[in-house]
Amino acid sequence: MKIEKNKKAIVPSSRREKKRYVLFEILNATIPEKDFYFGFWIELLSFFGSKGLAEINPRIVLYKDNKAIVKCKRGKENELIAGTAFIDKIRNKKIILNPLFVSGTIKTLKEKADFKESEKKETTQTKGAQKEQSKKEIDKKNL
Amino acid sequence: MDIVYTQPLKELLQITSYFKEKVVVLVENEKDEKVARTNGFFPCYLVSDSTKDIQKISSKTKAVLGGSVKNNEFATKIKADFLLQPSNTKQFFDLGLAKKLSDNDTTVVLMFEELMSKNSFERHQYWKNFAELVRYCKMKKTKFVVASGAKDPLHIRPRKVRIALAEILGVEKEIAEKYLSEEIK
Repeated sequence: MKIEKNKKAIVPSSRREKKRYVLFEILNATIPEKDFYFGFWIELLSFFGSKGLAEINPRIVLYKDNKAIVKCKRGKENELIAGTAFIDKIRNKKIILNPLFVSGTIKTLKEKADFKESEKKETTQTKGAQKEQSKKEIDKKNL
Repeated sequence: MDIVYTQPLKELLQITSYFKEKVVVLVENEKDEKVARTNGFFPCYLVSDSTKDIQKISSKTKAVLGGSVKNNEFATKIKADFLLQPSNTKQFFDLGLAKKLSDNDTTVVLMFEELMSKNSFERHQYWKNFAELVRYCKMKKTKFVVASGAKDPLHIRPRKVRIALAEILGVEKEIAEKYLSEEIK
């Protein structure tokens, strides 16, 4: 008997929920990614409550070099920014969260935060490494 | 424009120069005023009804710390430029006061650090009272601004954040931006 996999229904982009991306920078202290997640959620939850937070629907998409890209519902970006005003400490380190840009696409924010270059380098590096590995394997086989 | 209390200059200069914003420093004497002015800040005298020689500083920028009916009335009496925290966990602001402040061209200020230092129960009372205050201010076209009100330089909040806070309280974005970018005397 064949088991057929149910394909996930793909929601067309026009019907998907609209979102906004906000780029934040953390000033005054370097904070590990995990701690940032923890501090961010705790403060927002205490300010908005679970219902309010669900309405904003924030998601930390990317965190790198003390900069974070946070996704939220369209029209709720102001509430998200206002909520971050209450974050003054993470793991006893005093910080200031500075919202830099708001955008509809993650691509532009990555460009503005200089994420793209470093990512490109990484990808090229990994690609190069993969090529080298595959070459070595071929050489081994030939031998 | 942001309003902060007198505090360590070095850190304050670092942060304010990073945010590139005009900062009003609340001072209580001439010495502090000079220091603030020499460092590129705008000094503003913090006045109360117990302050002596108010006539001496009549031509200078004045701010009154509200929080009671008496202090709020005092701000209208001396035609202060800023009325800081007119209400707290209790509401001391009404339409009459909003009208008087509007006539005097006084700006009502929410000092964010004070709100942040409260516990969650007090915070919700603050929030409720300030939402009501903003409604009155909108009706009488009184200026309303959210300021950092920081005693510690690391409690200074960026301009975008303060605009967002004002928006949540009910001020329209353009108006909040306009009030924040008004020139200081």
